[in-house]
Parts: sequence; structure tokens; C-alpha cells
Amino acid sequence: MVKAFKWSWGLLLAFFCLLLVRVFLPLPFANEIIIFAIYTMGCNFLLGRVGFISFGQPAYLAVGAYGTAFYLFYFGSNPYIGILLGIVAGVVVALIVGPFFVRLRSDYFALVNLALAVIMFYLFEKILAKITHGDNGLWFLTKMTATPGLDLGSPSDFFIFVFLIAFVVWVLYKYLDDSIFGACCLATKTNEDKLKFLGYSNFNIRWLAFVIANTTTALAGSLYAVYFGFVSPEMTAPSRVADPVIVTLLGGVGTLYGPIVGAFAYTGMKDLISGYIANWELFIGLLLVFIMLAGEKGIWGTLEPILKKIFFRKNNPTN
Amino acid sequence: MDTQLLISGVIFGLSIGSVFFLLAIGLSLCFGLMRIISMDQLLYYAIGAYITYTLFRFTGSVWVGVLGGMVISGLVAFGVERFIFLRIYERDITFTMIASFGILIAGVGVIKSIWGLAPLPVPSPIGAMATIFGTEIPVYRLIVIVISILVYVGIWAFLNKTITGKAIRAGIEDIEHVEGLGINVYKLFTTTFIIAGVLSGLAGGLHAPLIMVDPQMGLEVLPFVFMVVIIGGLGSIKGTLVSAFIVGQVISLGAIIYGPLAQMAPFAIMLLILLIKPTGLYGSKLLKR
Repeated sequence: MVKAFKWSWGLLLAFFCLLLVRVFLPLPFANEIIIFAIYTMGCNFLLGRVGFISFGQPAYLAVGAYGTAFYLFYFGSNPYIGILLGIVAGVVVALIVGPFFVRLRSDYFALVNLALAVIMFYLFEKILAKITHGDNGLWFLTKMTATPGLDLGSPSDFFIFVFLIAFVVWVLYKYLDDSIFGACCLATKTNEDKLKFLGYSNFNIRWLAFVIANTTTALAGSLYAVYFGFVSPEMTAPSRVADPVIVTLLGGVGTLYGPIVGAFAYTGMKDLISGYIANWELFIGLLLVFIMLAGEKGIWGTLEPILKKIFFRKNNPTN
Repeated sequence: MDTQLLISGVIFGLSIGSVFFLLAIGLSLCFGLMRIISMDQLLYYAIGAYITYTLFRFTGSVWVGVLGGMVISGLVAFGVERFIFLRIYERDITFTMIASFGILIAGVGVIKSIWGLAPLPVPSPIGAMATIFGTEIPVYRLIVIVISILVYVGIWAFLNKTITGKAIRAGIEDIEHVEGLGINVYKLFTTTFIIAGVLSGLAGGLHAPLIMVDPQMGLEVLPFVFMVVIIGGLGSIKGTLVSAFIVGQVISLGAIIYGPLAQMAPFAIMLLILLIKPTGLYGSKLLKR
């Protein structure tokens, strides 16, 4: 009963958000926030559930983006197939590198991923320059054909599409959180010996979680590619590696709504502050330090108990 | 391969490695003793370089600038340690990593607002060239190498011959026993952090004449410095020295063989070393805390 209520509540909230975002925010801004939220969800799952902090998410983002871009630039024109291929590329790469990476400790995991991001950057910028056109990137906005139903070439249709995708991903993570697999992920973070004792394989659980999280990231990458109609190695540049981690922390680690709130706050602040002052990094940095000093709960982590108090007081007399 | 090219490549690699070593030693010490990953060392590196530039403009001497850079970096490190790290030593290592990254980004913002966005040049203090095996080598690069080796010897002497240094080494082994002996470990932490900051400032000051000074310089060397620390093994000074020179050579000789290799090869090597030996070359026992 309670669970069904919460599900419908989430659904209602989602459509309310859709309405709110569509009416009050300029379209490019809204699109950017939603893609960023999908991007962050993967990182959030890794950091909050499995306890892996990754400074290499842009690597998987680039894999998804280039998977889509290669198809749209060289072979076909249907953006849906492009996005599917981007996801497939993400799954394949995550399956291949996963076994090597997930057996490392958390801080080493972060740095090995950083290494992968830098390797990807130089791979796409220099070594594969003949296929990727190096820094100039691949332009294919005009090559995409209009598809029946939702035409991904137009921003307003794209918004609906990306919102639906974000919602599906969100529901997937919600489901994972409630499932046994989600509990196992949390257990690998807190007490892996006990989990091993219960008969689960830490390695398999981590690998699966790694693949799920990085497929989400690759999906975000292919959405970026279709939305901008343009892909360049810039997206995996060494100076951008910490973006998803920052957003995850800003929103609140391990919470369901955290990535959305974080992406909203981060993109909003970036746009707002960079309008007045050139160096918005200063504020992001100070904010990050402040979050760490205040107890690493993030915006949603702080807001959640307050909102729960307001909305659920009647339903739950024990609170 | 051309011998002259090879020799100049090796010297170039050694000087780059020296700068990386000076930076990485602070990170390594901080990890060993306090179990924090202190990305803000890269901020003190940038501060060292910028102070060098500013003092050079006022006094005309790069060496005065380097000294000033070391002092200012040490002071900033002291302030950051007092106000921020003292509160988060107890936390999980990943959170100190993120907090220090926040400090780094905020510091880059401050640098941008003080000195502006444009890259600034610092001239080499010694224009002379030395001839080794018929190859012309800038003397300044040799001096950078010598300074870093002197720092290594100094650090070694400090850790092995002084009481504070011995306490730091003991703290790397087992911090609780050191505390039990009645030594104030937070004083040790502060000392180590300031040493790390001063060395990072020195690295920035020495590196400034070799490159252009720009606000993103800390972020640019960040992956390489971490790679040095990781390959050497977190917490090991000797490993840091060895891996710094390995990385320097790989960058410089890789660039001679094939241009794009310079930035990528070190990362490939780091991946390989980590996959074969996940604790780095010299860091075996340290990670069990």
C-alpha cells in the first residue's frame, strides 16, 4: 500500500516537474539539465551505492557520444538507432574494462578511471584524428533525418523524449534501490566480508553495478551527441573530469532525487554566476568545501528530512 | 636514433621528472601520515609560480621569486590546514579528496581574479648552455635536477635524523602508537602539510621559467602528479623519486618517438602497473589501515 502510494507520488511529481520546467525555463537550459541529471545518476549510483568514486565518467560519456556520432556521421541518419548504438558501445566498453577496474580499492579506482579519461581524450583528439577529425569534432546536425513520432531534431520534441528517458532511468534506479541487488551493492560498500559469507560474489555485484552505471553515462553521452548534433574530444578533457562527482555531492550522495537537484543547481549556478563574474569555479569550489565541512549531505540530503516532515506527518504517526 | 636528440630528451625528461617529484613528495607524505589525498598541493604549485612571476617583476631576480613563492605557499598551506583539513581528518579518504579538489578549484578562481586569465612569461634565470657529449643543454634544467636531488637528500635526512622526522615515519607506520607515546600528532600533521606546501611552491617556482604561468597549470599537471604517486606507491618517498623519473622519461622520450604518445603513454603505463601490482612499485604494507 505504502509503496504504491510512493510510486504514484513519484510519477505525479515527475509530470509536475515536466510542466514546471517546460513553462518556466528556457528550452536549451531544461534539456541541458535533464541530460546532465542522467549523466549524474550513473555516478551517483557508483558513489552512493557501491562506494566507488570515479573521476573518469567523461570517458564513458565520450564512448557513448562517439558511438552515436560515428553512426550518424558515416553510416546512417536515424538518431534512434544512433542512440541505441551509443548504449551498446557503452555496455561493451564497461564489460571489457570492468573486470580490471572493480577489483581496485576506491581511491585507486578514482585515479585509474581518471587515467582512462585522459587516454580517451588523446585517443579521440590525436590518435584517431583521421576518423574523429580531432579538435574540430564531427558535425552531423543536418544529416539527421526527421523521424515519425518524436522528431529528435527539434528541441521541443527532444525535450519530451529526453524527459521520458530520464524518467525511465530514474524508475530503473528506484527499482534497483528496492531490489535485492541494490541491497547487495550497499553491502559491498559497508561490509564485503559479510556479503561474501552470505554467498554472494563481491566481484560480480560490483561488475554488474559498474556496467549499469556506465551504460547510463554512455546513454547521457549519446543524448548529448544527438542534442548538439556535434561531438568533440572536449567533453572528456582533463579539466572536466570532476563535474559529475561535484554534481553528485551537490545534490546529495546516494539519494534518488539528488542527481536531478544537483544538476539543476549546478547548471543554474553556472549560468547565473558566469553571467556576472567570469570565474564561477571559485564559487563551485567554495561550495564543495562548504558541503564537505557541513557534513557531506548535499542539497537534497539536507532538504529530504524537512520535506518528509511536512508531507508525511499525517501518514506516519511514529515520526 | 640521433644521439644528440636522445641526450637532450633524457635531460628534458629528468627535469620534468624533478618537478613532478617535488610535487608528488608532498602528496605522498600527506597520504602516508594523515591518510588524506591532498589535491590542493597543485594550488600551492600554481601559487608558487605566480609569486615567482610577481616578485620577478618587482625585483628582477627569479631566485628571489622562487624563495618568496615557497614562503607564501607554505603560509597558504598552513591556513588551509588550520581552517579546513583539521576538521576533516577523521573522514573517509574520498571525502578529503573531494574537499581538497574544491579548495583547488576555488584557488584557481582566486588566481584568475588576481592575475587574470592570460598566460604570463617568466624568463630563465640562467641563459647559459652546458655541453654534454657534444649536446647543448640549458644549465637551468640541470640546476632543477640538482635541486630536486638535494631535496630528496634533505627529506631523507629529515625523516631519518631528526626527532620530528622519526615521529613522522613512525606515524606513517602506526599513528595510534605515536599518539600513545605522548606526541601531539596534530602538530606533526601541520608540520608535514607545511613541508608539502613549501615543496609544491618550490616546484611551481622552478617550473615557471620552463613553461608559461597560467591559471589552469595546476589542473594540467594534476593527472601526471597523481600518476607519479600511484606508480611509486602512495606513501613511499623512494618510490615517488623512482616513478617521477620514469614518468619524466616516458613523457620526453615518448614525444621524440611519436608526438601524441607524450601525454598518453604514461597513463597506459600506470594502467599496466596498477593492473599487475595494484599497490604501486614500492607501496605494499601501507594500505592496511
